[in-house]
Amino acid sequence: MTSGSNRPDDGLDERLRELDAPDAPQNDELMDRMFIDMKARCDKNDRTVTGFLRSRSTVARRLIVLTVFALLAVAGWFAFPLVGDQARTAQWTASLVTFCVLLVLAMFMVTRPVHLPALPRWQSVCLACIAVGATVLAAFWPYPAAQAATHDHTGGVMAGACMGVGLLLGVPVYALLRLVDRGNAFGSLVAAAAAGLAGNFVLKAHCSVPGTSHELLGHASVAVVFVLGLGLVHRWIPSK
Amino acid sequence: MANSPPSSPATDEELMEAYIDGNDSAFRSLFERYGPILLRLTRRHLRNDELAEEIVQQTFFRLHGARNDFRRGSKLRPWVMTIAMNLVREHWRRTKRRKMTSLEVDTRAAPEADFMPLELRQRSELLHVALEKLPTSQREVVELHWFQERPYAEVAQIVGTSEGAVRVRAHRAYATLKQLLVSEIRGDE
Repeated sequence: MTSGSNRPDDGLDERLRELDAPDAPQNDELMDRMFIDMKARCDKNDRTVTGFLRSRSTVARRLIVLTVFALLAVAGWFAFPLVGDQARTAQWTASLVTFCVLLVLAMFMVTRPVHLPALPRWQSVCLACIAVGATVLAAFWPYPAAQAATHDHTGGVMAGACMGVGLLLGVPVYALLRLVDRGNAFGSLVAAAAAGLAGNFVLKAHCSVPGTSHELLGHASVAVVFVLGLGLVHRWIPSK
Repeated sequence: MANSPPSSPATDEELMEAYIDGNDSAFRSLFERYGPILLRLTRRHLRNDELAEEIVQQTFFRLHGARNDFRRGSKLRPWVMTIAMNLVREHWRRTKRRKMTSLEVDTRAAPEADFMPLELRQRSELLHVALEKLPTSQREVVELHWFQERPYAEVAQIVGTSEGAVRVRAHRAYATLKQLLVSEIRGDE
């Protein structure tokens, strides 16, 4: 046994040794069966897109995700007009940067290698809460105070459209992160938060409808729906 | 198996490198080395043969998926142990089994029950109960330090904390175990 200053004393050491005795005869047949079964699962998995992506190295998986994010951002940049000059304030920029940083953080958490100790649950929950909180906060911070008087709060009508677009944009992000996730605990929740952030990033960058009510109903709701919706789905239908 | 194993005796790391290069029989050799160790570990933690086997298989499934992250010069054992301990921890989280009473656990799944003499079985049950009363973080340390004979530095690497914290956990765990088993140990003397 290992040497160390914290070794239990003789009485306990002896008792623990009893548990260390082989508890059942190890038969080769069992190990054979286990290996064949496991190897068949590995081979089957290797033939799927998921298996292919998950078996890439962590650096490669992260590069794949970042490349897809960048492509989506570039496509969105050219496909939709950005918000007008008046709306491109420091708060607007700060919101986009915050969404971006949180998105990258979520990507790093989801693609964490499985040979490292799993992250504590609270970190994943914390990230999801911060993601939702950031989208809500951004809704209350759409324009500088000096321009607040010009807000009209009739944007609720367009909220449904924005929410739909945000959800649609979030789905590929969620799917991509799940495809490269090797099975981290709460990976689904973090991916959902990332999907909500991605939707909000695009909406914030391109949606020109002003007003807190619109941003709450149409933008922040995307993150809420992803996090709460998928969180509940996975609670009721736990993955294998 | 299509490929022959590398010239023995190969180290774990050599076997892993051979597997990454496409030698399937090296994977089998790794399974033969680590399978029984992990099976004992998971049985001690889960006390359910079927679950223990599933987690051992899942450990190797994940090892297979993560093989491209393995770097020459790395040690394989901490990899395998970390993956297994992550899976065990995740199992506890999902089932919240630790909230069940020890008695319920004992009567449902004792893998060694068939061939052990009654007295030994009872002693084993007491030990299992004592171990299950430890917080998961302490139990992991006992498992890795005492049962797997890993040095504190490696245990710290596997559970993701500092060596000092691991020493403290081990000290507390052994003290708690001793306290829980003290009457029985005295009885033995």
